[in-house]
Amino acid sequence: MDPAIEVRDLKKTYRTPFARRKVEALSGVSFSVERGTIFGFVGPNGAGKTTTIRTLMGLIKPTAGSAKILGHAVPSRKARAQVGFLPESPYFYDYLTIGELLDLAGRLFGMSHADRKKRSDELIERVGLARARAQSLKKFSKGMLQRAGLAQALMNNPEVVVLDEPMSGLDPIGRKEVRDLILELREKGTTVFFSSHILTDIEAIADRVAIIARGVLTAEGTPAELIRRTALGVDVMVRIAEDAAIDDLVAGADRVRRVGDQLSLTLPVDADVDAWLAKSRERGAKVISVAQRHETLEDLFLRQIANAGGSAEGRV
Amino acid sequence: MLGRIWAIALNTFREAVRIKVLYGVLVVVFGANFLAIVLGAMSYHEETRVAQDIGLAGMSIFGSITAILLGLFLLYNEIQRRTVHAIVSKPIERWEFVVGKWLGMALVLSVLVALFTVAMIAMLALQGNAMTTALVKATLLAWVEVLTVAAIAIFFSSFSTPFLSGIFSFAMWLIGRVTPDIEQAAKSASAWIRVVTRVALEIVPDVHLMSPSGRSDVSVHGDFVTWAYVGMASLHGLGWIVGLLALACVLFHRRDFV
Repeated sequence: MDPAIEVRDLKKTYRTPFARRKVEALSGVSFSVERGTIFGFVGPNGAGKTTTIRTLMGLIKPTAGSAKILGHAVPSRKARAQVGFLPESPYFYDYLTIGELLDLAGRLFGMSHADRKKRSDELIERVGLARARAQSLKKFSKGMLQRAGLAQALMNNPEVVVLDEPMSGLDPIGRKEVRDLILELREKGTTVFFSSHILTDIEAIADRVAIIARGVLTAEGTPAELIRRTALGVDVMVRIAEDAAIDDLVAGADRVRRVGDQLSLTLPVDADVDAWLAKSRERGAKVISVAQRHETLEDLFLRQIANAGGSAEGRV
Repeated sequence: MLGRIWAIALNTFREAVRIKVLYGVLVVVFGANFLAIVLGAMSYHEETRVAQDIGLAGMSIFGSITAILLGLFLLYNEIQRRTVHAIVSKPIERWEFVVGKWLGMALVLSVLVALFTVAMIAMLALQGNAMTTALVKATLLAWVEVLTVAAIAIFFSSFSTPFLSGIFSFAMWLIGRVTPDIEQAAKSASAWIRVVTRVALEIVPDVHLMSPSGRSDVSVHGDFVTWAYVGMASLHGLGWIVGLLALACVLFHRRDFV
């Protein structure tokens, strides 16, 4: 069976409007997304995430290379019929209501009137916009627009969902709802390809992750494969009297932070944690937590970006 | 295919309604009829002629200006505001989108022509007159003209900014309206000017064919064109509409939506 998404040596070069200078947005990106999985696509601003996604959706034409969705070479109408797409910072016809937007999407997918009505009612409930049914999208907040975008992306009950920054503009509750929705889609067998800047979200739900920087894929694998499971230190948090001397306790420690009677720090990997805890108890400290610190996806991401010669702020 | 084109057309019509384009059209229709009443009262028993002239000129001129403005902004805004991203990523061909946009505009412009026609009929009825065959033919020709101008605007809007598209579309419409006068003027010019003029006029739709009244003893108030002429002029307009939309589709197909 063909992968859900297959990208081979994708290249995209733009020319600047006046100077006609070449800007390479993608420099040979290759990856594949297995069916029924969640694939997280990470990179700083300007790394090439959106260019890759727009190429997949047929919005821009690659300079070289190829991409397939469900075995159909893009751009393909057949592929698009089985894909749901949420653009980055989605802009929709702001004179429409959410029901009208979904009806338009349903018409473009060739759905019958009854199916459009049933599906849009379900989705409006699912994304929590039932109360805003009568409002035009002009009056929607950014988070509400993001939900509307998700609803229109799911209108055709797609086999593959491509989401460009789906958590952008959402509050923590909204982000959790989107995470739950993505997990729910995977449970139903839908493939989800999504980009995000919020690494904790990707780490929490993605089966595979790819990191892109300066138009080049710098790493790809499962989060567990990518994250070094080597300990980076021991995070300790204790409660200790505000006037207690702590100079010797924090000596050699990293990330020291004292707020009121709460002291948190990271001890080196080779530190004698038992001895440190005993010493702190002698000062009347009460241990709140002790946890080994591992590399996170964020650490990996920052390291990859640094290796690629960029910064997390991206490039122009 | 038809369902998708129709979906875009309906949405375009809805957009024009919601951004209150039709209210603007209504204001123009009422304004034009008010002007017809005033000018009719000032004339010497020429109320009927004034009502007919203003009604037809309103359809043709305001219709064409509305067509240019709609054509410029409706397509350009789709790209600029990126609303097109959520549409062309659906299983719709880009040419279906362009044709749907034109069809939606055609609906809006048809409402405009219909409103002018109804207002003209009402004005004539008030004066104890009825719609003549000549007026029906002239109305049909004005309708074809605004649909052709809409295709001109869509064509330029498929690759240019609203400002440039506006200039090009307006120039093309204006030149198309006075083609016989330009030809006449070029006759007394040097050979190369005649050649340049000939070539220039060939790449402009002859929209003057759709407003024949006042040329060569043809008048909507007297001897007007035959139905065969109406058919030929409509075919000319249709040919340009198909050609311009085909070019717009090719240009739109080649665009990257960044």
